[in-house]
Amino acid sequence: MIRIATRNIVRFFILVLFQVLVMDNIQLGGYLNPYFYILFILLLPFETPRWVLLVGGFMLGLSIDLFTNTLGMHTAATVLIAFIRPWILKTFAPRDGYEPETFPRIYYYGFNWFAIYTLILTFIHHMALFYIEVFNFQDFLSTFLRVVLSTVLTSATIILSQYFIFRK
Amino acid sequence: MREILWLLKNYYHVLLFILLEVLALSLLSRHNAYQHSKLVNLNREIAGTLYKNIEGAREYLYLRKNNEILVKENTRLRNRISEIENQHPATSPTFQKKGSYLYTTARVVHSTHFKQYNYITIDKGRKHGIRRDMAVIGEEGIVGIVLESSANFSTVLPVINRDFRLSVRLKNNNYVGIILWDGQSPEFAILNEIPQHAEISGGDTIITSGYSAIFPEGRFVGTIEEFEMQEGNFYRIKVELGTNFFSLFYVNVISNFNQQEQHEIESRLEQ
Repeated sequence: MIRIATRNIVRFFILVLFQVLVMDNIQLGGYLNPYFYILFILLLPFETPRWVLLVGGFMLGLSIDLFTNTLGMHTAATVLIAFIRPWILKTFAPRDGYEPETFPRIYYYGFNWFAIYTLILTFIHHMALFYIEVFNFQDFLSTFLRVVLSTVLTSATIILSQYFIFRK
Repeated sequence: MREILWLLKNYYHVLLFILLEVLALSLLSRHNAYQHSKLVNLNREIAGTLYKNIEGAREYLYLRKNNEILVKENTRLRNRISEIENQHPATSPTFQKKGSYLYTTARVVHSTHFKQYNYITIDKGRKHGIRRDMAVIGEEGIVGIVLESSANFSTVLPVINRDFRLSVRLKNNNYVGIILWDGQSPEFAILNEIPQHAEISGGDTIITSGYSAIFPEGRFVGTIEEFEMQEGNFYRIKVELGTNFFSLFYVNVISNFNQQEQHEIESRLEQ
């Protein structure tokens, strides 16, 4: 229990640093911004109480915001996916439910399950984030294009990370 | 009563969610004005130090280009010195006027380019006399305005931020307009409020008007890339910015000693 908590806290800090130092420098043509840090929310254990999810999401978004001078933007988007995650997990649960002592990862539930789970949460996060950023619906299509392309890129980096870094 | 407790127990997370979202959105709206919280200042110091170390490594990749820029600047300054020496500085009124500005060199430690609200962090702060509303220029044109300073670092609101507004004019015919950024490409900005009876053509130079008391008059902003008539009486002009925000490493912060005075006079007139 304590071991899992520590591991998640360490992951929190690593992901924030990785996001602001590495991922924020990857921007292809203004359309593609990978927001890899939401992996923290995705990988929290199934039994995580909802308030931990929400507060964790808040802290995570705030940390990113403080580094990028965008107070509130990432916070709002990340709290939103932390709130929605339990429903997504419930909707896509295997027939016998999630087994104890397993985590939401490719290793336990396979590529298809993890890809859908990642794509949906990433898409919701990016929708919220990009539309809060432009704060109007005038350029609806160009913003939507950015949302879709970035969702693909973020999801791809997250799924790849499952094979290289967070294997188990 | 038991039902209320039951509701709270089962749906507290909805309340918590609403609370946190409201908190996040209130942070967002305050950020759109000026950020003042101690939190932001503290974080600027931490993030600034971190970025400064990383930027130090990245700088090596651009040494050649920076050298070229410095050489060019040297030449330009030498020319300027001889020009001023020829003019008898003590009696020249233009020289005295320019003398009321103080230049401070600062290094860019972090910058963003592809967001809607981009910011630049520089490694000079209150300790070095940097204050809010000072002008920031680069070798190739204007860069932005100081938004907020902590002890060792400052945040700059660059031209490529959708909150940016500056009064500029056409060099040829002195028509004054407002320059702003439409969030599209970091190489171009939009110039508004130039009336359609003004004669303009592609390649025309745009410089600062000096009306804002932030920028000295006559600083290079950019050149006209293309323009179109639109409804109403004004052109919509696309401006190619002089500053390349991607290879910006050193900037000059300009303090205007007369800024206070100009503000005082202007506010007295408004009353």
